[in-house]
Amino acid sequence: MNAPGPKVEVPQSLGEEIGGNGRVYFENVVIDNLLDALLELSAAVWTHHDRALVLEKVLAAKGIDVTGAIEEHLPDAAEIAARAAERDAYVQGVFGSFIRRPTGNLPGRQADQKGDI
Amino acid sequence: MERGQIGILPRPTSLADESYLEFVTTFRKFAIQQGFPTVAATGEAALEKALESGEVARPAEGGEIPLGDIRRVFSKIPFVPTWQRFVRSQQEMMWRRTRESFVKTSDQTMADMAAAEASHPERIHVDPDFVPPDYTRCEIHCQPGGYTDDPLGGLVFHYGTKIFYEGFNDQDELHVELAEKTTLPDDGKIERILDVGCSIGQATTVLKDLHPQAEVTGLDVGLPMIRYAHMRAVQRDKDVHFKQALAEDTGYADGHFDMVLSYILFHEVPVKKMKEIIAEMFRILRPGGKFSIFEFPNNDKGQVSASHRFMIDYDSKNNCEPYSPGFVASDFKGILEAAGFVVEPGPAVSNDFLQSLVATKPA
Repeated sequence: MNAPGPKVEVPQSLGEEIGGNGRVYFENVVIDNLLDALLELSAAVWTHHDRALVLEKVLAAKGIDVTGAIEEHLPDAAEIAARAAERDAYVQGVFGSFIRRPTGNLPGRQADQKGDI
Repeated sequence: MERGQIGILPRPTSLADESYLEFVTTFRKFAIQQGFPTVAATGEAALEKALESGEVARPAEGGEIPLGDIRRVFSKIPFVPTWQRFVRSQQEMMWRRTRESFVKTSDQTMADMAAAEASHPERIHVDPDFVPPDYTRCEIHCQPGGYTDDPLGGLVFHYGTKIFYEGFNDQDELHVELAEKTTLPDDGKIERILDVGCSIGQATTVLKDLHPQAEVTGLDVGLPMIRYAHMRAVQRDKDVHFKQALAEDTGYADGHFDMVLSYILFHEVPVKKMKEIIAEMFRILRPGGKFSIFEFPNNDKGQVSASHRFMIDYDSKNNCEPYSPGFVASDFKGILEAAGFVVEPGPAVSNDFLQSLVATKPA
C-alpha cells in the first residue's frame, strides 16, 4: 500500500437511512410510533435486566467496586447460552401475541364483535 | 476499559451496548424465524382465497401472479405491516447502536488498521486515485455510509452482520462453510484464488487456511471493508491479500485465477454491472477454472414462492437493496452461460434460501 495519507476523520453520526423521518407502514402513523416505542422500551428493559444479572454475579463473586466490576465481567459460554435462553423467553413473552393473533379474523367471531373487548 | 473480543468477534464497547444489541439479535431471530413464516402462511392462504374468488386472476400455465397483486393481498393482513415495522425498526436499532458503540473507540480502530498496513503493506492493494462509482455508494442494508463512505464501516459491518445472522455466524461459521464448499478445479491445480466482493474477508482467510499453498486475494469496492479485512487478517497471522477495485474491472491478467468465490454479490449490483462482472470473472479465470456462486434465488422460471417474492420486494424497498429485484427477475444462469461458462448446481448450503451454482470455464 502507498504511504499513509492524512489522518482519516470518523464522523460521529452518519446514515441517511437510519436518520431522517423514517418509514411508515400504517395509515395511522401512531401505530408505527407505538411499535417503535415498544421495541425501544423492550430493549431498555432487557438492557437493565441484563445489567442486574451481571451485577448479582459480580456481587456474589467479589462484593467490591461494583460499577467497574460489572464492565469487567465477561461471560463464559455456559452463561452466554443461559442468558440467550432467557432472552428468547423474554421476547416470546412480549411479542408472542403478534404470532398468536396475526389477523383480526378469528374463527367463529362475528364482525360486530370486533373491538368490543 | 478494553472489553476485548468474543472469540474472533469484536465486543461492543460497553455492557449496555452489548445487552441492547443482544436484545436486537434475539428480536431479529423472532421476527425472521417466527414472524416471516407467519406472514408467508397467512399471505399465501389469503392469496389462494383471492385466486378462488377471482379477485386475483389465476395465471396461465408457466405464468406467475403479478407482484402488485401479491403485494395488495398480503398488505390487507394486519400482521404484515406490523412485521414490516418490526423488521425495519430492528435494522435501524442495530446499525444505530452498533455504530454509536464503536465510534467511542474509533481512534484505536483507525490506529490498528494503520499499524496493520505499516506491518504488511504488501498485502493491501489500493489505488489512491480510485473513486467508487455512485452505484456502489448506496447504504445497502441501511448501513450508515454503506460499504464505501464510513471509515469505520468494516468494524460496523462486522458486528452489524453478526446481528443480521442472528448469532449463527459469530465465529464466521457460515463463511467457513462457504469456503469449504467452494469448488476446486478438476485438475486440482490451485495457485491463485479470488474472493470477489469479499467485504471484510471472512471467507478469504478460510480459503487460505484450506489452501495454504495458494495466493488468496479478497477484492471489494469498499476501502473501509478491505482495510478492516486486512487488519483482521494480519492480527490473525493470515497471509492473504486484499485489493480495492471494481469486480467488473479487477485489473488482473487473463486466466490469472484457478478458482473464484462470490457470496451474495450479484443481487447488490445492477443487472448491467452483473453482466460485466460475469464477463470479467470469465476473463480472469484460467481454462478449467471454477467459479462458485452462493446467491439470492432468482425467479426466471417462476420457482420462487409468492411469499418470498413479497419479502424480497419489501427487502428491496425497505432494506436499501435497490438492485435485488432486477437480479431476482433476471435469467442469471442464462447470463452465466452466455458469457461462456458451463453452469451446474453447486453444493447445498445450510442457508437454504440461497442458490448455489458452479460455473466452469471450459478447458
